[in-house]
This record gives sequence, structure tokens and C-alpha cells, in this order.
Amino acid sequence: KKMASKIHVVLRPVKSIVVRFCPFESNVESTRKFLGCINHKRIQATNKNCEVTADVRHDGSEPLVDVMFVDGDRLIMKGANLTTAEMLTALGTRCNAKEIKEEQKSKKKSP
Amino acid sequence: PCAKMAALRGGSGVLWRRGFLPALQLVRRGSKAVTRHWKAMHFQRQKLMAVTEYVAPRPAVPPRCLPRRKEAEVAEEDNGYVRLLQRQVEEAFRDNRMIAVCQYNAMPGEDMVLLRHYLRKHNIEVKFFLNEIVRPVLSQSKYRNLLPLFVARNILLVSRETKAKEMLRVLKGVPQINLLGACIDDTILSRQGVENFAKLPALEVVQGQAVGALSLLPSQTSSLLQRSSAHLTALLDQHIRRLQEGEGGTPAQPSAAQS
Repeated sequence: KKMASKIHVVLRPVKSIVVRFCPFESNVESTRKFLGCINHKRIQATNKNCEVTADVRHDGSEPLVDVMFVDGDRLIMKGANLTTAEMLTALGTRCNAKEIKEEQKSKKKSP
Repeated sequence: PCAKMAALRGGSGVLWRRGFLPALQLVRRGSKAVTRHWKAMHFQRQKLMAVTEYVAPRPAVPPRCLPRRKEAEVAEEDNGYVRLLQRQVEEAFRDNRMIAVCQYNAMPGEDMVLLRHYLRKHNIEVKFFLNEIVRPVLSQSKYRNLLPLFVARNILLVSRETKAKEMLRVLKGVPQINLLGACIDDTILSRQGVENFAKLPALEVVQGQAVGALSLLPSQTSSLLQRSSAHLTALLDQHIRRLQEGEGGTPAQPSAAQS
């Protein structure tokens, strides 16, 4: 049940993360927890250049997580019906995939 | 010889009761009462131990089948501490004019101390409360609309003065705390509301402006009422002056013509 804090995400391929939510709505819990987990020491330590911004609005819009990657990709997660662990695992898998791609590229370039 | 043999057996030997020399009680190997190896108990002691074994009391009905009273008991047990914390929450809401609710993401300790220091300078206190304690208090008080804010880790910034500008400035320097909403003077504001509130000029200035605007019209009524009579008097004055000038002019002209 404590999965959310144990999921380790490597944020190296991530340029910035914007978390937008409206705290007076009732479906923001998972998004808020996601924000809390991302701001943990362990995950922040993987990439110090990654900017995490929290956008607090009051216009009844649904919670949103917008991730910009270094190679220009964009991941938008609508947190209204997602749990924290799901969002973290989704982000984690994509980060890992990008890492592997980068490693392969650098291996191809070096020899 | 039989006694000797029995004694030589040693270990869990049965005590021979009929006429032996106490010296024969000694076992040849001479182990004492307290040994490092396991020593078999005397038979009488064995019997005593067997009789006095602990028998756990078994309830007639297994506890699984009984109706659940655990949750009620647990709630009653915590009540003392929980009640104290709830009282503190109520006090905080009563005493302070400005209460801001912020989301707290993990922050290093020194930053926390610095933040507390800066906020203390402006007489703002930082309080931590658990959501489970705050929720029942809020649901019974008039701050029901603040309920959805209390999810995930929160911090409460309470203050007796409403220094929104300084608070926002301090919070801007700390990226890990996000302002969610505030309750200033019993008015619930969102983040935008707090920013607008911070941009307002001070209360005295606003009061002065209001007084000035209100007193603008009454200051004009007296002049409005007197305008017609003042106009008349001005006209009469001018007329008199022209007549005087006319009189003064005609004797002046013949005197000028004479001289």
C-alpha cells in the first residue's frame, strides 16, 4: 500500500514537470500525492535541472500533469481518475525507455 | 551393592528410601544443581511441573464470532490526545485572522528553519496538523468549504495580522510549498484571491479614498446652493465698480483736459 513512495523514477530525460490542479475540487488527491512524491529527495537527486512547478488554479479544471522531455516529447496525464502509483509507474517506464535509447545512441556514437 | 548401583546410575535416578548412606547419594560424576548441560529434573519436580502447567483460558465463543467492538475501543483510547489536538485546531482558527493552507512537499531541514524564521518576523506561525484531526473539526465548524483542501500533506500558516504580501514573497522563495487557499477574516480565498488581496493598498489609504469620494459631493452642495446669489452679488459689484469708474472717470477727464 505504500507503493507510491517506493517507486523510484529516474528523471534524467525530463526537462520540466508542471502539475496543475484546483485544490477545491475533490478529485485532486492522487495528483497532490504525485506532486509530493516527485518532490522527494531521492527523485529530485536524479536530476537537479528538472524544474517542478505547481500551478494552483481555481477554475474547476481537472488535475493535469504535463511532463516535457529533453528530446521534445510531451506526456500529459489527466489525474482525475488515476492513482498516484499509476502515474508514477507510467512516468517511470517512459523515463527508463528514453534512458535505454540514449545509452544505445551513445554506444553507437562512441566506437 | 544395589544402593551403590542405583546411585552410580545417576541422572534421573529414583531415590532409594530405604536405608542408604547419605554419602551414596552423591553421584560419581558429581554434577551440581546448576549445570551448564541440561540436567533432568527430579521426578517429584517433574510431577509438580506437569501438574502446574499453564492452561490458557479459552473463551467459550471464539473472538472471531463476537460482534466487532475493536474500532469503538480504539477511538475511545486515542480520544485524549486527539481531543487535545482538536482543541488546538479550534483555538488556531479562532485566534487568528489569517489562516493559509499550503501543500507541503518534502523540504530539507535547514530550509524549514529559515522559512519559520522569516515568517516569525512577520508574526506568522507555521503549524502542522494531521488531516484526520482537522477534518472532523472543520466539518462541524463554519469552515466546511475548506474541507476538500485537507488532502495529502498540508501546512497551516496562521497569523493575527493579514500580511499577505510578505507571506507571498517568502513563499515565492520556497518552491516546495504551494499556497492552496486561505481564510482571511472569515472569508475563504483561493490563491488568486490572496494575490489580489495582497495587491490592495493598506486599509487606511482605502478608507481615506472612500471618505474623500463620499465627501466630494456634499462639499459641492453648499457652493451649488449659493451659486445663484453669489452670481447676483458679483454682477452687482461689477456694476457698482463701473458706475464708480464712470463717475471717477468724468471728473478725471475734465481735470486732465484742464491740466
